[in-house]
Parts: sequence; C-alpha cells; structure tokens
Amino acid sequence: MHDALLAGSQFSGQINFLSPLINGIANGAAYGLLGLGLVLLYKSNRIFNFAQGEFATVGAIVTYVFYAGTGVLPKLPFFLAAVLGLLGSVGIALLTERLVIRPMFNRAKVILVVGTVGVALLLIGVEGLLPYPKTQSLPTISDVLKVQPFIGRIDNVPVLDQDIAKLAMLVVLAVGAFVFFRYTHTGTAILAVSQDATAARVVGISVERISLISWGIAGLLGGVAGILLAVPPTGSVTPGAFTGTTLTVSFAAAVLGGMTSLPGAFVGGLSLGLIEAFASADAEFVPGLNHVHSGQAELAVFLVLLLVLLVRPRGLLGQEA
Amino acid sequence: MAAGTQILAPVAGEHRVGRTYLWVRFVAAAPLVALVLLLPLHSDVYGHVSAYAAIFVMVGLSMNVLTGYTGQISLGHQAFVGLGALTAANVVSTGVRPADGFSFAIGMVCAAAASGAAALLLGAVALRIRGLYLALVTLVFGSVFADAVFTLPSLNGQDAGVPAYRPSFMATEYRFYLFALAMALICAYVDVCVRRTKVGRGLVALRDNELVASAFGVNVLGYKLLGFTISGAMAGLAGGVFAFWEQAFSDKDFTAIAGFNLALTFVVVAVVGGLGNRGGVIAASVFFALVSPLSPFLEWFARQTHWATYYGNNKFYISNVIGAVLLLQTVILNPGGLGQVIRPFARWFGGHKFNLHDSDGGGVGTMEGSSVRA
Amino acid sequence: MSVLEVRDLTIRFGGLTAIDGLNLRVDEWEIVGLMGPNGAGKTTAFNCITGFYKPTRGRVYYQDRDVTKVPPHRKAALGIGRTFQNVGMVKSETALENLLTAQHTRAGYGAPQAIVGLGTVRQREKELTAHAEAILDLLGLADIRDRRIGGLPYGTLKLLELGCALATDPQLLLLDEPSSGMGPEESDELGERLLNLRQELGVTMLLIEHHVPLVTAVCDYVYVLNFGKLLAEGDPDHVRNHPEVVAAYLGGEAPEALAQTETPDDEPPADEAALAKPVKRTSAPRKTAQAKKATKAAPRRRPPAKKEAS
Repeated sequence: MHDALLAGSQFSGQINFLSPLINGIANGAAYGLLGLGLVLLYKSNRIFNFAQGEFATVGAIVTYVFYAGTGVLPKLPFFLAAVLGLLGSVGIALLTERLVIRPMFNRAKVILVVGTVGVALLLIGVEGLLPYPKTQSLPTISDVLKVQPFIGRIDNVPVLDQDIAKLAMLVVLAVGAFVFFRYTHTGTAILAVSQDATAARVVGISVERISLISWGIAGLLGGVAGILLAVPPTGSVTPGAFTGTTLTVSFAAAVLGGMTSLPGAFVGGLSLGLIEAFASADAEFVPGLNHVHSGQAELAVFLVLLLVLLVRPRGLLGQEA
Repeated sequence: MAAGTQILAPVAGEHRVGRTYLWVRFVAAAPLVALVLLLPLHSDVYGHVSAYAAIFVMVGLSMNVLTGYTGQISLGHQAFVGLGALTAANVVSTGVRPADGFSFAIGMVCAAAASGAAALLLGAVALRIRGLYLALVTLVFGSVFADAVFTLPSLNGQDAGVPAYRPSFMATEYRFYLFALAMALICAYVDVCVRRTKVGRGLVALRDNELVASAFGVNVLGYKLLGFTISGAMAGLAGGVFAFWEQAFSDKDFTAIAGFNLALTFVVVAVVGGLGNRGGVIAASVFFALVSPLSPFLEWFARQTHWATYYGNNKFYISNVIGAVLLLQTVILNPGGLGQVIRPFARWFGGHKFNLHDSDGGGVGTMEGSSVRA
Repeated sequence: MSVLEVRDLTIRFGGLTAIDGLNLRVDEWEIVGLMGPNGAGKTTAFNCITGFYKPTRGRVYYQDRDVTKVPPHRKAALGIGRTFQNVGMVKSETALENLLTAQHTRAGYGAPQAIVGLGTVRQREKELTAHAEAILDLLGLADIRDRRIGGLPYGTLKLLELGCALATDPQLLLLDEPSSGMGPEESDELGERLLNLRQELGVTMLLIEHHVPLVTAVCDYVYVLNFGKLLAEGDPDHVRNHPEVVAAYLGGEAPEALAQTETPDDEPPADEAALAKPVKRTSAPRKTAQAKKATKAAPRRRPPAKKEAS
C-alpha cells in the first residue's frame, strides 16, 4: 500500500527538495546507528569493525525467520522475533569478541581489522548457506501494529512512518548512548580504556571485560539498525545486505564525526544520508544535470570522506586524529 | 662509490649447496611442472579453470608487492583488476570478431598502465592517510571506483558488456591458459626482481619503519608510490587477461557485493598465503581459484557426496566460508600463513639446505610495524 | 674544513623549546661528542641535522652547503649516516639483508633497471653482498650473517647497526648512544673500533654518548647540552670537570632551565648576520686527532685537509 502512494508521488512530475530530504534523513539515521557502533568499538578497542554491517544483517535475518516462521521455526509475534534478532546480533558480536578479538588483543590493530573482515566474510557465507527466502523484507511498523499506515504529507511528498521510526530510534539510542557514557560506571570505564588502557588497568578496570561489553553494545546497535533497514520499500534480508554500501557510508559517517565522537557519528550519518539522497535524486534543480548516475552518490560520499581525512583528520566534531 | 666497495676486501661466500645436487631438485620439481603444463590439457573446463588460477596468481602477486612488501593494505583491489579488464576490452574493442594480435598486445599494456596510474593516485592518498584509515579508504575507493566508473554506459557497452574475443591463435582454452601462465610468470619474475634488489629491500624497510628506511637513503614517498604502481600494474594486467578469459568485460563482476567479495578474496589470498612470501601467495592463489564458484573442483567433490544440488545453489557462499575460515585461522593461529608451511620446500628447490624451522619473518606480522623512534 | 656546522638551531614543539640556539661544529677527521642529561635535546638535535624534524630556526651546513631543508633520504645519499637510540634496523630481515638495505644509495642502479632485472643489476648485487660481508667480517659478526635480527642481543644489534650506518658509505656518521646495552669491556672495544674506523675509512663522527670513559677515549671535542641549550664545550677533560656540567648531571640547579620555560610565543626573526657567521669554538679541540693523523697511515678515500684550530 505504500508503493502505490510512493508511485503516485513519483509521477506527480513535481521537482522538490523534500523528497530527497526525507529520504536522506531516514537513511542517514540508519547510517548514524551503524556509525554509533563503529565509534563505540573504535573507542574501546581502537579498531575498525568491518563486521558491523553483518551484525545488522544477522539481526534482520533472525528477526525475519522467526517472524515468518521459516522452516521448522515457530511463527512468533514481531516484537518477540525482533528481541530474538537483537539477541542474535549481540550473540554474534560477543562470539566475535571472544573468538577473534580476544586471542589477538595485543597484536597490531591492522591485523585485528583483517580479522573483522574475515568475520564479515564468514557471516555473509553462512547467511547464504542457510535455507530461508533471501529476498524478503521485514514488515513495516504499521503492518506490525495493524494500523492504517501513517503517511504524513508535506507538499504532497509522502513521509513514511518507518522513516520517522528510524529517526526516532536514532535519537533515542543516541541520547541513551550519551547518558550511558556520561553517567554510568561502565560507560565511563569504556571511555577510560579508550583513552589509556594501561592507566585504566591500573585503577582496576578490566580491559577485557570492557571490550566484551563494548562488543555487546555494538552488536545491539547493529541489530537495531538492521531491523530498521530491512523494511520496504528498499530493505531486504539478503545475505551481506548491509555490508556493501551501507557499511561504507556508515564508516564515512563515523570518520566525518572524528571516529571518537558519538554525536559526531550521528551528525555524520545524517549529513551523508542527505548528500547521498541529493546526489542520487532526479536532481533537476541542478542545472545541466538531468539524471545523476547512481554511482555518483557513492562518489560524493567518497570525496567527502577523503576530504575530511586529508584536510581535517580529526573529523568535524572529533577531538583527536 | 666503487671505491667504497674496494676498501674492504671481499670474502668468498657461497652459502648455497653445491651445484652437483641441483639435479635432485630438478627431478623433484618435474612432477610439479608436469602438473602445471599437462593437467589443463585434460579438458576445456580444466584449461578454463587453470587460466583463472593463473589470473588469481597475478592478483595474488600484486597484493604481495603492495601488502607483503610495501606494507600497505588494500581492501579495494577489485577496482584495479576491473579497470584493467575495462581498459583492455575497450582498447581492443573486438566487436564480434576475434582480436588481432597487435591490438591485443596494446590492450594488455594499456590495462597495466591504466591500473598502474590509478594505483599511483591511491598511493598519493596513502602518503597522507595510513593504518586503519588507509584500510577504510581503500575499501571505499574500491567500491566507489567500481560503482561510479565501471557502470558508465559508454564504458561498459551500454550495460550489455564489452565483448573481448580472444585472438584466433589462442582460441582454445589450453592456448589461452598458456598465455595466462606466461603473464603470471612475468608477474612472478617482476616480483623476484623486486624482492632481490634494492627496490624490494627499500619497500620492506619502509614497511618496517619509515624513519630507518630514510636513514638508509630510501626515498620513502617515492618508494611507496612505486609499490602502489607496480602492484596496480600487475592487477591491471591480470584484469586484462581476465577480460579475455571471460571474453567480455561486464561491470557486474566488479561492482556491488560481487566486487566487495572479490576484493576480500584478494585480501584472503594474500594473508592466507603469507604476506611477503611469494611461494605461499602463489599456492594460496591457486587454491582459492580452485575453490572459487567458477571451478568444477568443488562441484565434483559435491557430486561424490550427493550434495551436488545444494552446492550448485550455494557455491558462491561456500567459497566465502572457506576463505573466511582460512583467513581467521591464519590471522589468529598461524600468522606466517601457507608460505610458512611450504617455505622449507621452496627454499630447498631454490638450492638451499632443507631447514624445517626457517622463518622468513613474513606473514601477517609484517603489518605490525616496528617501534623504532627517531 | 668543517664537515658539519649547526648555527643557531632552535626547534619548538608547541610551547616546548626542545633546542634553543644551538651552535656546533664538527671538523673533518674529528670525533665529536654530544652529551647531556636525559631530555636535554640531543636526539632532537640529531633529528634536525638528519632532516627528520624541521627546525623552527637556524641552519645546518654539511660540507659548507646549506642542507637544512634537505629530506632525510637525500642526506643519507650525501653521506650523512646515522644510528638510532633504540636500534634502527629492519627487524624482519637478516643481518646481511640489513646491510644490503643500508647500501641503498650506493647500489649503482635505478628502480626501473631493478624491476626489469638487467644483468648489470645482478653483478652489482654480488658486489653489494661482498661489501656487506666484508663489513660483517670487519665487525666480527660473520656468524650472524643469515640470522634474523629480531632475536639478537642488544649489544650485537648496536654493533650491527653501526655496520649498517657504515654501509651507507658515510662521510659523517651520527651515532646515537652507540654503547648503550654494552658492558664496560665491550664499550672499550667499541671505542677502539670507532678510532680504527676513522683511521681506515676517514669517517668523521658526531656521537651522543653517556659513557664518560668512552667519550674521553675517543672524542676530540665535546658539546654538552642541557634543557636544549649549550652548557659547555671543549675537550673531554675540560668538559668533564666543568662545574655546570657536573651540576647538570648530578641534578644541581641549572639557572637556564628556569629561564627557558617562559619563551615568548612570537619568534624573533632569525638573525641573518648570526647565521652567516661560522661557528667559533670557545676552546681548542684536543690535538689527538691531528696527532693520530700524523702518525698513522692516511685514510684511503679522502686525504684530510689542513685543519685550522681556532
């Protein structure tokens, strides 16, 4: 039912700024969510987690198979399935920490990063080998709540409820992360470890435990992002769904925010979502550009990333290189 | 310069074993050579897969120069391979007829040159950005370059693919395999030349420690760019061969999730093979070509175990899992990689004494860097 | 003729003045010591001389040529060799490979020739290997030829590093604590070795060293730094008994230390006149260098020019 409405707006023939704006904010929110997880792991382990996109995919897939009752699995209500999906993401993240990160704790960070690349590759493969319908999507919020789809309209542009949900979720989680890092013991301990692991050890913080907790939280954030991303019209539960472009843009978002700043990742995600949306929109408002090539959106993101790294390596909001 | 050499009297030092024993090595190597030359004769499929393995060897050596020697990680190597394929296909521009030998040769050279130039550009970025951020930039570069350039309709044959028919004198799979093998041997030869001269020593020195390298007189910036360029040219050549192996350039091989997988497979090859270890990387390249979705090897294996249908549906993911498991195993438990395992044998074939506990200092550890400060 | 002259060298990191107006001179055929307590700025001075750091102010002259802005690898090619405080070698390589790497600038062929693999390259490689082996023999390290340097003892590493620095074919050798990690006997041996190297190769040396017996044994002239400033200079015996030097090493009050913390942020422009002036020494160097030169065989490469002691 969304599709018809969407199609209607597309054929309205009107050019507008609002459509890419809303698209951009919604996608940007998801990038921001993944970016939050990346920043968290960079803070706690000083590594880039290339498996973060797969944490999202795992969350979405587990949610889907329980929601749809694939094979021998029971058909569960959506929220129960989502909880299982999040547990799946967290579990995978914890397993990654114990089996891959922990044995290499004292090795060079680049090697750990190669390890996370291996995890991503493995998860894509395993997801692919599992028997479940791979082109499906998760239900929309309105389907889940069994209510009429809420579609706000601004200037005849549909605003989908899941876009709003994405944004709301991002705000909630970002505020949650802020509170967590500012006011809880564990949160401040993570920050302490990120600043000086040796000193943190000296004052009695278990660096290993902090690492495990950080991975768990990163898995949770990834799972939430995955469930939000796997809804129609664009999302699906394909193996490796969120490891390609989505992960790339999320990294760019985190880097834009300086890799250590949680609000930075939030803002970075939103800006990149907007850049991408405007670059790939039917940008008739840019003179001479009728149809912008789809690769161009990515190119725009890449150039922004490169520019930030070359000109201002500590990011727009970051405090350090 | 020469005067300096003469100050100190040279000492005789032949540290290899006597020439008399070399024939033993030749005899021992004969089966291997026979395997490489004769097995692809078995059938067209074998020839096809063997040529694919040769292409993988070229990319593996390309990764070896860049990551193994120069110490620069690249998670976007599919862009260079793809650019080579795109360039070769477009330069030769066969249409429906087989390519003529001359333009075919030009196409190969252009493929290497184009990718070398692109790698030089990425290298210029790597002068400023290093470590984890470089890994990220190469990853993004690879996918963005592929998605933005390869999908341009004017370059990919209006989305239908650019045909690249082989020249008539290498029309059979075996003949094309011999050509691919020759190209792989050229790459291996360049790799050997690099490693055994001041170029390789300079690259390894800057990989370990840029300060020490420059104290030894190595132009760190220039050599880093050189490492990228050599690697890019090799990858481009591999791409050129790939276009004619597939007899077409299609952007779909290098974009989106396929490209991402390809890039990661190259990293897997380099790491599992043992960074900086030529023999290991070549062995790993051949192995991963054989377990790739294109190879009939696993399919045959699956048929024996009544998993043929399942394999047929999932071969893409099976090679993913094999690659990932071996990568993790190497990184966590066996940082020297495959090269460490085969090194005693490789050294023995090279005329050295057989020594089971001979570390080459290569492998994943080469990415660690050193702690020397100025 | 001076091989190395440093004029008014100043470098700052943020608000910290690591070196403040350092003047020093190393003449041909000399071994000059650079002493000072930890953090005095000795290694920083080395890094400025070799081009790793860009000095905030001041000039570095090598063989009367201004090389302040020449990058490190070009300086190595010009004949300035150096060692590092904590052993600067390629740790994944063998001793022989390190010595080959160090001969980078004197390889006699370019990168393109190397990649194509010309026959001349192979010939040169044989010569380079022979040279490397000769250095190993010279230092008595022939038995570690094919050992990876990773697991070698520190003293051996320092010695091998000296060999690497020699392999760069230097005319001026900057040695950063060459005797660290060595016992007294090894250190004496090192002193002998340095004197022999000068005798045989005619290498001029500037060394950072804490080990007073070694400095006394080999150095013709010594500069003492403290808190980035020149505290004293002169021949080793003079410097050793200098009251301020003794105070600095024993932790006494150094008046300069308090003054230098309040450096103004805006840098006064470099005094061009001061830069143009050659560095004058306040006291005469020990005559041993000249004496040795007179008694022993002349170096094979460069006959030492007449040196005028100021």
